[in-house]
Amino acid sequence: MHELSLVQGIIDAVEETAEERGGKVKSFKIGVGELAQFDVRLIRQLLDDIRKGTPLEDARVVVEPEKSKVKCMGCGKSWAFQELVGSMSGDEREMVHFLPELLSSFSKCPSCSKSYFEIEEGRSVRVIEVVLDD
Amino acid sequence: MTETDSGLDFRLGMIGKRLKNVRKVLLVMSGKGGVGKSVVSATLAAQLANSGFKVGLMDADIYGPSSALLYGARTLPEEGEEGLTPPVCGGVKIMSVDLFASGRPIPLTGYESRQVILELLALTNWGNLDFLVIDMPPATGDIMLTLTSLGKKGLAALVVTMPDRLSTTVAHRVLELLKSGRINTSGVLENMYRPQVKGGRRTQGRPRKLAAEFNLPLLGTLPYDLGVSRAVEKNDIRALLKTKFAAELRRSMSPFFE
Repeated sequence: MHELSLVQGIIDAVEETAEERGGKVKSFKIGVGELAQFDVRLIRQLLDDIRKGTPLEDARVVVEPEKSKVKCMGCGKSWAFQELVGSMSGDEREMVHFLPELLSSFSKCPSCSKSYFEIEEGRSVRVIEVVLDD
Repeated sequence: MTETDSGLDFRLGMIGKRLKNVRKVLLVMSGKGGVGKSVVSATLAAQLANSGFKVGLMDADIYGPSSALLYGARTLPEEGEEGLTPPVCGGVKIMSVDLFASGRPIPLTGYESRQVILELLALTNWGNLDFLVIDMPPATGDIMLTLTSLGKKGLAALVVTMPDRLSTTVAHRVLELLKSGRINTSGVLENMYRPQVKGGRRTQGRPRKLAAEFNLPLLGTLPYDLGVSRAVEKNDIRALLKTKFAAELRRSMSPFFE
């Protein structure tokens, strides 16, 4: 349930951005990367719950799931998390949930068997866009 | 107006809020590996906790984490609404990537190592601390740059060096960087001094000169102590605290205990 603290961090950061720029947030877009294995509906729900009563209450929020893409630094082939997850235990998947970079610790490239992945897309939650009123 | 992902890393704000509850952050660094940063960090953290301070120990050496090992900590941090609460060993709250990796290799690019450090700092619920001791990795790369750029009030560096020319030369580079970054530096700590070995006495004074060049105190000279190796084998921080090394470290760092 550490999602709650991450979502609170997002709300705080978006609010502070608006304050710094002296504007009101019209909309903001959040990406939910596949590697962190968050429940997108839960993230959406938390965003709605936490911003109630804040200046972001009326802002439009878009939450987008983001597919993962990791590149094997051994052979150069790219993979999605779902193609690598088969060899991982539930506990190992949970460790990647906390720290997506640990994918290389618990998975091997299906093509060359090396364990050096570089995360290119779909790492975790991120703020894609904040749009302020002019 | 649009703010893109690259301009808004929400974790930085989370880290700032977490660290507001920490009175002093001490970066234990050297630039060079193998000079004893991890043992100094672990021992100092335990000594501070034993003196009644609230202490956290963060293992930022994510390439070769050893803090959890030194404490015999194996428990996964507890997940909750406030983030991840670190396990407590010997009165010290411990956070290390190894609590998640459990001894597995951790191959990371420089960019990824920064991501791991930011994630751990953003998620770790330290609560109120008097001291957060951070065991830094060797080198002056992404992790050092990330941690020294946080702008945390109460952040200070402690530079550990062995007395030899290799260690002091690398430590010199670190001190130059700290000076240019205007990072408060508590002093230099000489470790593994061995006057009894051939040539050992010739190295005497090098760390003192290094400290003096940067107008810093040489906080102390810690002996090469075989008892440290024996204590480390036990994976029990209490064994480390009984060594001559620990006694000298406690004397050297006495200003921190006041």
